[in-house]
Amino acid sequence: MDFRFDIVAEYMPLILRGTLLTIGFSILGILLGSLLGLIISVGKMSRRKIFNLPASMYINFFRGTPLLVQIFIVHFGVVPAFYGKTQVFIAAVLALSLNSAAYTAEIFRAGIQSIDRGQREAAYSLGMTHRQAMRFVILPQAIKRMIPAFGNEFIVLIKDSSLLSVIAAPELMYWGKVMQTQYLRIWEPYLTAAIIYFILTYSLNKLLNYLERRV
Amino acid sequence: MKKWGLLLLAVLLVAALAACGKRDDTTAPGNSQGGGAAQDKVYKFATDAAYAPMEFMDKDQIVGFSPEFLALVMQEAGLKYELVNTGWDPMLEFVKQGTEYDAGISSISITEERKQTYDYTVPYFESVNMIMSKKGSGLTTAEALKDKKVAVQNGTTADIIMSEIMGKDNPNLRRFETNTLAFMEMQNGGVDAVVADNAVIGEYLKQNPDKDYEGHIDPNFPSEFYGILLPKGSELKAKLDPAIKKVVASEAFKELYRKWIGGEPNVERILKAQEEG
Repeated sequence: MDFRFDIVAEYMPLILRGTLLTIGFSILGILLGSLLGLIISVGKMSRRKIFNLPASMYINFFRGTPLLVQIFIVHFGVVPAFYGKTQVFIAAVLALSLNSAAYTAEIFRAGIQSIDRGQREAAYSLGMTHRQAMRFVILPQAIKRMIPAFGNEFIVLIKDSSLLSVIAAPELMYWGKVMQTQYLRIWEPYLTAAIIYFILTYSLNKLLNYLERRV
Repeated sequence: MKKWGLLLLAVLLVAALAACGKRDDTTAPGNSQGGGAAQDKVYKFATDAAYAPMEFMDKDQIVGFSPEFLALVMQEAGLKYELVNTGWDPMLEFVKQGTEYDAGISSISITEERKQTYDYTVPYFESVNMIMSKKGSGLTTAEALKDKKVAVQNGTTADIIMSEIMGKDNPNLRRFETNTLAFMEMQNGGVDAVVADNAVIGEYLKQNPDKDYEGHIDPNFPSEFYGILLPKGSELKAKLDPAIKKVVASEAFKELYRKWIGGEPNVERILKAQEEG
């Protein structure tokens, strides 16, 4: 198979620029998504219907529909409704965050609920309030358990960000597609993109392993 | 023993399903045109039928200018063929390999970069790019678009032209997967203009008479020509080129153009490009 490295070299500056955007979108997506996810998970764990129901519906919708469709809805529907016109970068981060929040909400819930009831009861018996129990006993243990699941979500998000190319967000996959159409060759752009995504996720994996040991 | 019976049944079912095979219901009408010569080989053409009015799907049939043009050409060449909607990326790989598919017809512009990997037939269609903008906005030439926001379909001649004028990495030049998305971006105020083939913009304006958009052709736009995509060294080129030349010069070509694009084709320019090609 003839692989034209010269085409890849020609596009390298654009590809690297796109990679930076991919990293940016993913980081913002996971951060904002986790923030929102935390709120939603608290709602989901509440026994009061007024919190529980919206939280459940949110999670079901964003986990149950394709991210591609969510990206279109956010870019062509939601953002223009607020801004009057489309805004790619806002739409990109928003779509990733909203989607990620649904998954991280469940990660939070699973982590917290997996802590033995005995821990909570022991904390209460020491005179802690619910909030103190969460802060000093439950959460520290829960977070350590959540790290692998979070890492998973972050890795998935990095690869999902490739879908943002459909709204012409100039991230990695976007430039891959442009390279493809100029030369009408598919392996050079797509394999290159795959390798870069792999490098990103592999590094993240290593980082998470390190974190898991440290916490 | 009952377990073996069930297993045998399962294997037979799977074999039966596989034997029925996949009914290829995406082939265009009019395949297997037997002309004068008795060619037994059925040539397989790939297309990405997502580009009205050139090639697109009407439910499960491939329709448009391209399939009907291909029918005329293959009838002239006396060859049997089959047209399959494979999608863009698969089409490129199939044609490059040239084993399962023999050619690709999909409004593919002839460029020097692409000739490095593929062969083309002689040109059969001239694509003229059109600028679609709001009525009265004054955005009727490429120069006027230089510092505006423009949407194009990734990889089209419009993309190539505007990349040259605005700069390839200009964030104001937004490339979308399909023209539909480019049009949506314009409807939602994300861009000031869409640049695409006159056929495509014509189709859009026809479907959306309520929007106050209009199309303009900038006479300075270089024109590009479509060719049928072939694997390097394909023997099909020698068979297709004379047939294409004949069909393009014929009245049937003009009728086809009027039917799908509207207006009269500039046949002289295509014939001239064929001589140069």
